[in-house]
Amino acid sequence: MRVNFVLSEVATGLRRNLTMTVAMILTTAISLGLMGTGLLIAGMISDMKEIYYDKVQVSIFLADDVTDEQRSAIEQQLAGSPEVANHIYESKDEAYARFQQQFSQQPELVQNTPADALPESFRVELVNPERYEVIAAEFPNGQNGVDQVRDEGDFLDRLFSLLNGARNATIAVAVVQALAALLLISNTIQLAAFNRRNETNIMRLVGASRWYTQLPFILEAALAGLIGALLAIGGLVVTKVLFVDKTLAGPIRAGIIPPVDWGAIAFISPVIAAAGVGLAGVAAYVTLRLYVRI
Amino acid sequence: MIELQHVTKLYPASSRPALDDVSTEIDKGEFVFLIGSSGSGKSTFLRLLLKEDDPTRGNVIVNGKTLNTMSKWQVPKLRRTIGCVFQDFRLLRNRTVAQNVAFALEVINKPQRTIKRVVPEVLEMVGLEGKAHRLPSELSGGEQQRVAIARAFVNRPLVLLADEPTGNLDPETSEGIMLLLERINRTGTTVVMATHDYHIVDSMRRRVIELNGGALTRDQSRGVYGVGR
Repeated sequence: MRVNFVLSEVATGLRRNLTMTVAMILTTAISLGLMGTGLLIAGMISDMKEIYYDKVQVSIFLADDVTDEQRSAIEQQLAGSPEVANHIYESKDEAYARFQQQFSQQPELVQNTPADALPESFRVELVNPERYEVIAAEFPNGQNGVDQVRDEGDFLDRLFSLLNGARNATIAVAVVQALAALLLISNTIQLAAFNRRNETNIMRLVGASRWYTQLPFILEAALAGLIGALLAIGGLVVTKVLFVDKTLAGPIRAGIIPPVDWGAIAFISPVIAAAGVGLAGVAAYVTLRLYVRI
Repeated sequence: MIELQHVTKLYPASSRPALDDVSTEIDKGEFVFLIGSSGSGKSTFLRLLLKEDDPTRGNVIVNGKTLNTMSKWQVPKLRRTIGCVFQDFRLLRNRTVAQNVAFALEVINKPQRTIKRVVPEVLEMVGLEGKAHRLPSELSGGEQQRVAIARAFVNRPLVLLADEPTGNLDPETSEGIMLLLERINRTGTTVVMATHDYHIVDSMRRRVIELNGGALTRDQSRGVYGVGR
């Protein structure tokens, strides 16, 4: 295979269809960028699930006038319950400390909250998180020093369904963009083949192999796919540095949402690059097989 | 070398066959004129030899290979043994004479060393040794056809197919082209030339195969263009 020949054909082809090439690269970049964002959100969701679901499923908030006997009775009941895998007691002081940490970005809120405003509670991990009703029935609200039993899982389910929705929407838009990108690639390759029909006709007549004739076109598409992928990865890096690390800095430090670390971007970058190169190459190959006589 | 056995070619768009039960044989080293009016099936004949198309019925055999049963990936190998020349030259306008000829070797992966050696040789043979670095647009029609012939012959094909190679040229220039094709034929290359040019056919007195409405109506050694012309 004459590398110089193939490469110069690729360069000529890309230059000759400059506007189409730019359009092809941009749609590919947007599609791949959204795909990467979808993957990052998916990773974030699973990180968040680890943070939240494992910690707390049910909170039992105690009344302000709870007695020591009531408190230890609740603790004994929890310790003896077969439904309970684990439980932690959180005093008013501990609750306040956690509150301060979580809302460190909003000092006014912290200042205006008296140290004893937050209730003491038991944080309960269930053997089966879906058995919340059983625990709630054992500790009726407003009796025996219990103020309120809350199913944190219910709140988390709603939070995660929101995040999953965001992820699915991102990926759906990525798929639509990918379709547009594939059609553009197909068009660009047809145009490129038309522009070079004299060359390819002669190549066919003198017995150049199919592979030799088609490779410049496939590489042309694959190169555009690679450039698109690099732009997409660049976009993700910029998004991390300018949006995630700045705007979301507070909640991340407070442990409310997990950070997007460089490892995650390093992990999905090759996926994006492979998807860009692979899809573009395959689209070009299929186009040549279906629409172009070579 | 070339054999057609009861070859019929139908095109979907046309009710009349482009070739109608044509059988003939062309031996190695022959020089054959393929004549007939426009639409008589000459171009279809040549296309079948190149496996640009497959016959609807019958067999086409080139260099001992039956083309009907040949798989797609073997076609390039077949075409490396066949040179082609056309009425419209089909040169690459942005490449020089030498580059046009070299292109045919580059794309079949010949080593650069070989290309450097054989391109000047073949350009000298067709009489263009001084014009290797010209662009096709700087050449006359006859010279452009010489470049096309050089490109078709540079890989020493067993068969040279020429589809009205003198169709765009004046009589004197045509004569030069014919001398060149004769010279190529003398090296042992089989030449099949489709033409309308009765001066050439009559003066060369080579084998003539005449097609009429797709049917082979005459096959004559040392023939002339038309009886009663």
